Amino acid sequence: MKTKKQKRQGDFQKIQLKVGKKKPKADNATNVNFRSKAIHLPEQLKHADSGPTTHRQLDIKDLLSKLHHINSNIKQGALVGLRELLSAQPTLIELHASAVLSEVAALFTDKDGSVRAAAVRLLRFIAQCISAERVAPFFPLLSAHLTCAMTHISEAIQEDALRVLDVLLEHYPGLLSQRHTVLLTNFLELISQKRKAGTGQDKSGKGGFALTISTNRSVTAQQWRLTVLLRLGSFLQAVVEERPLEEGVTSMIGLGMWAGEKGSVTSVDVSWEEHVFGKGRIQVFENSGAVPTPHSTYRLRPDSKAVAGMNKELCSAETVQGFAGTLVPLMLEIWVEAAGGDRVQTDSGHLLSAEAMALMFQILTILQLLRRLTPQRDQQDILDAWFRNSYLTDFKHHFMKNFPYGLLEVARHRKKADGKRIRQQQVATGTVAGGNVEPLALNVTLCQVMVTLSLRGQDHVEAEDADWLGTIRVFIRETLSNGGKLSSKHLAALLEVVWRMIVTQRSRVVTDDLLQAVYVQYQQRNLAVSVRTLLLHFFSQLYIQEHQNHPHIARSRILARWLASLPVQLVQLCSRNPQLSAQLLETIHPAAARGNKDLLQSLQKNACSIYDPQEGSVVVLPVESQKRLVQILHFLPTFPAELLACLSQVCNTGRVSASLATMLIRTIHLRSPLSGWSSSSQDVPVKDVDYLSFFFTTLTGFSSEMLQALQDTDEDGLMPSSTLSPLSVFTTTLEQFLHHWDVVEEVCHCLDTLGSRAQCFDVIQNAIIKNLCGLVVVPDCVCAAILRCVPRLLDVNFLPSDTLLHFLSDCCLSMLSLLLQLEQSARKRDAVWEACFAAMSTVPRLLRLVLQSLHVGDLCEEELPVLAQILSLLLQHTQLRNHMMANASLLQHIIQDLTHFYGGETREQWLTDLLYCYSVTLSGHRANMGMRDIY
Amino acid sequence: MSAPVEVVLSADSAGQLFNCAVFDPHSGSEFLSYRGGNTSSRSLTVLNGEYILGAQLGKNFINVWEIQRKDQLQQKIVCPGIVTCLCASPDGLYVLAGIAEAIYLWEMSTGNLLAILSRHYQDVSCIRFTDDSSHFVSGGKDNLALIWNLSSVVQLDSSRTPEPCHILSRHSLPITDIHCGLMGPQARVATASLDQTVKVWEVSSGEMLLSVLFDVGIMSVTFDPCEYFLFCGGSDGNIFQVSLCSTSLSRDKTFQTDSDGNQVFKGHRNLVTCLSVSMDGTLLLSGSNDETVRMWDVQSKQCIWSINHKGHVTNAVIIPAPANMFLADSHPAVPLPRFSRHLNPSEQGDGTGSGGMCLRLGASTQHFGLKTTDFKPLKCNRQQKRTHFACF
Repeated sequence: MKTKKQKRQGDFQKIQLKVGKKKPKADNATNVNFRSKAIHLPEQLKHADSGPTTHRQLDIKDLLSKLHHINSNIKQGALVGLRELLSAQPTLIELHASAVLSEVAALFTDKDGSVRAAAVRLLRFIAQCISAERVAPFFPLLSAHLTCAMTHISEAIQEDALRVLDVLLEHYPGLLSQRHTVLLTNFLELISQKRKAGTGQDKSGKGGFALTISTNRSVTAQQWRLTVLLRLGSFLQAVVEERPLEEGVTSMIGLGMWAGEKGSVTSVDVSWEEHVFGKGRIQVFENSGAVPTPHSTYRLRPDSKAVAGMNKELCSAETVQGFAGTLVPLMLEIWVEAAGGDRVQTDSGHLLSAEAMALMFQILTILQLLRRLTPQRDQQDILDAWFRNSYLTDFKHHFMKNFPYGLLEVARHRKKADGKRIRQQQVATGTVAGGNVEPLALNVTLCQVMVTLSLRGQDHVEAEDADWLGTIRVFIRETLSNGGKLSSKHLAALLEVVWRMIVTQRSRVVTDDLLQAVYVQYQQRNLAVSVRTLLLHFFSQLYIQEHQNHPHIARSRILARWLASLPVQLVQLCSRNPQLSAQLLETIHPAAARGNKDLLQSLQKNACSIYDPQEGSVVVLPVESQKRLVQILHFLPTFPAELLACLSQVCNTGRVSASLATMLIRTIHLRSPLSGWSSSSQDVPVKDVDYLSFFFTTLTGFSSEMLQALQDTDEDGLMPSSTLSPLSVFTTTLEQFLHHWDVVEEVCHCLDTLGSRAQCFDVIQNAIIKNLCGLVVVPDCVCAAILRCVPRLLDVNFLPSDTLLHFLSDCCLSMLSLLLQLEQSARKRDAVWEACFAAMSTVPRLLRLVLQSLHVGDLCEEELPVLAQILSLLLQHTQLRNHMMANASLLQHIIQDLTHFYGGETREQWLTDLLYCYSVTLSGHRANMGMRDIY
Repeated sequence: MSAPVEVVLSADSAGQLFNCAVFDPHSGSEFLSYRGGNTSSRSLTVLNGEYILGAQLGKNFINVWEIQRKDQLQQKIVCPGIVTCLCASPDGLYVLAGIAEAIYLWEMSTGNLLAILSRHYQDVSCIRFTDDSSHFVSGGKDNLALIWNLSSVVQLDSSRTPEPCHILSRHSLPITDIHCGLMGPQARVATASLDQTVKVWEVSSGEMLLSVLFDVGIMSVTFDPCEYFLFCGGSDGNIFQVSLCSTSLSRDKTFQTDSDGNQVFKGHRNLVTCLSVSMDGTLLLSGSNDETVRMWDVQSKQCIWSINHKGHVTNAVIIPAPANMFLADSHPAVPLPRFSRHLNPSEQGDGTGSGGMCLRLGASTQHFGLKTTDFKPLKCNRQQKRTHFACF
């Protein structure tokens, strides 16, 4: 018990506090001897998933919400922040495209200039990042805001709206061009205002708009108009270019009219080899061929639907007329102001400031584009007629008034007088938007616009137009023929004007006048390749396309002269510029096919240089051009002997592929009356004598000079003559041999199809005897060729002369021993064997002669194995077996001699082989005989 | 003997035995032969099943026989120049002749020369009609083939020169032969050329569908009636068969290897100048400059028979046998008129006009069957025996 009491006391022990003593610390007292530091929390904590932020820690939501802030500085800051954020994190753009675009677009009409500028900058940045397809859904919104800004009452906002337009034009021309209905009127309102209905100004036919002049702009009215027109020009350009291309609609203006025909059906192209070996499977007909392709112009009844859908698009003549009806009068007013405001004196009305010139150039460009808005040809004609009816007098009055002494004179005059100062001025004024426009560009564009107004060949109109067309003609002639070099852009425009004038005016004088000027330009030396190509293209298309329809073009002397100069140019050009040569050939070929006399004469004259085997075009140009050249041969009026000599060498030198050489040979074959193809033969393009000598020369492959030179050389390739090889054979390279082999094949084929085989063979035989029989050194390909052609051409009833047969037997023996002694490629060996055996089996006398010439006694020891090999080869050949049997006694004699003269103790392999072959052949023969005896 | 369904008509350049002769397509035995002169290439044609027209080789006239009177030359039509090719429309109303660069169009009922088309730059080598006579195709040595609409050519509008509907200008050497498939204006046309290609075009759109490049120049071309195969006669004497629907073909031919000889008919030794396929597509006729005409079995590519001629074969064609051919006492329904040598004979006026009317389409109609309001009546000096509405 006591313990319990003690314990209780221990728990609640009372501590007595006394004065002067320290108070003991309580057990639960806090130890405060530590130091603490402050923790700063300058920002509030963010959620972890808030995403990236700007350097001010603002995320995209904050920034977007700040765009609605009333303070413009904050708005601008938010725009800058957005740009920073989006450039750091490009992925955000795609995520928030809708929000960002709609907010930014809303700021196009902000009343603070810096905010608008920042908005435009942001838009430009975004536009660089997002493709047109992704913007397309938001584009109605963008364009609505753009329209809003363009029609805004504040002029500063209008000006900035054009910057927005610039950005959109640069990046989304296609999308923007779809909004033309709204935008075009906006453009009009930027520089003009609607007249009041009551003023009754419409009588003057100048539309319902009047130019506005506001005094409180930062720029002059002219500059403002220039900026607007620049944008309008580029907008129309976008409309023209971004239009989905329709089938069969080629813009007939500009160089587009020279574009070649485009097949809208992809045709199947196969070659025979591919087809035969199953690679080129052909499936020609869609829908089993029952339905024609949709491109067919053949309609059983006219399509009524096609017309209805046009109106909405800006491509029918009516819509363009509607717009042009208001725009053109405005532009005329601007023109008048630009021209008149500058100089008051009438005598120097053609001198313009750079700014006015830029303005005028823009006006003309827009006029040109307006015309191009209609893609269809018929619509374009309607539009042209409309322009002519409505505005010809105005245009003539305003545009052409100062043209004759013209703007070109300005440049000249200035350069002469005080060129340096003017140039400084130009530099100074050139900073105006729209840049500096060359007077030449302005003039040329003016010509282009005016010329479209001239109508196609109607006599009463021609007289009317004569005055202003005359001045244009003079200008063009002088520009082209004053010897200056023109850039390809200006030249293209000038050529277009020339083309149009030639086609519309239908007068031979005009045509020759203009073409002469172009020809002068063409004849200049050292033209840039692009310019040269352009000129060439102009002439060739003029010839090919318009030749038939317009007799005045066909009769033009200049065109004839140009055509006649083409072959000469081809020769001169040589291999320097294959593209240009190919282009020349593209004209020469159809012109030759059409039998153009001038061209053919000139071609005939230059044929020997074009087809020269050493440096003629036919050997130096690439394969495609070579092929064309060979095809052109087909149209040559006559083939004189020199040309045929050239061609024969071309076939054999190996610089033309074997297939092309074959084509060449066939062409000559077909042109000859001997081939029996061309029935009407008043004039003989290839004389029979020339024809045969061509074929013989091609057959041998060596000209007589070359053969003669060969007799005296002692090269490595030469095999000396011996008993086994009566001729000393000159071995050619494998490449040459095979090429020649292919050529020989074609020659044989052509000669084979001639009418009278006996006469043909007689001629060839005489040629061989005359040209080849006396030779000591003969190239192996010649031997092979002769051996090849003789059996093919030999008529059954014709007896070949002894001289020929002796020569053939020499050839045969020489070739056989050559093959056995030298290492040859398999192809060559096969070819030669085939030729030899074919010759010997067709002409049995030849085999006999070969055997007779084998005098074993004259041979030296080393040659015996070769002889034995030749004999066994002959014996092994089945086709020859019967003929060998016919000469059995001769054969037996040779073999006896062979074994007799071979003095070796051991029986060599070659001898065993020969004896084996001999016995097999003979036994087979005897067996046959035996069988025959039995029956 | 019952009359055959089809006959072979062939001619050669020598004309020693006959000018042209009619053979049995199955046996090659000769039925008839027509004498007098010889016929130039691609200029033998049967007019309306009643006359045979053949242009004399190298001369400026056309020989005409009534089809049942084989021995007697009916008449000679004198032309302004040497006729290079000749074709009668399948409906028998018009005759086209290529004379040098120009194409002459005659109306058979009156003999009037309706048009001279000079759009070719060199000799016309071949003219073919579509089977409904609505279009024709001409090919020349200037590498061009032109497709013409007949009704636009015969329009009575002297101010406008007729233009071809399509100009096929993708060949690079002279065109040697043309074949027109069936189906009228929706037909396909095959052109053969010396540039070693055969090209297949669509008449209605003028688009090229197929181009086959060979090793040799092609002298003649034809389709079978179903247009399964294209047969091309080469200048080396081979005839190449191109199958145009190879997918359906491969099903049958799985066990055959497509070796080289499989698609070539070998036998001729010189240019194959004429090709023709029979109505059922089993027989192929070929004529060649090696002076033979051969009949081939298309399936097995074997030569069935061959006939030797005395000169280059200029024409060989399989035609449906005309009804009159084997009836000696028949005579043509329409006598052949005198062919006029000048355009617009009525304007030159030889004054014997007796009330006949010639009707032709006016200028504004593009295609037949569109409008019937534009017919313009024109006085004509011959008795009209046939109405012309049928052709429009």
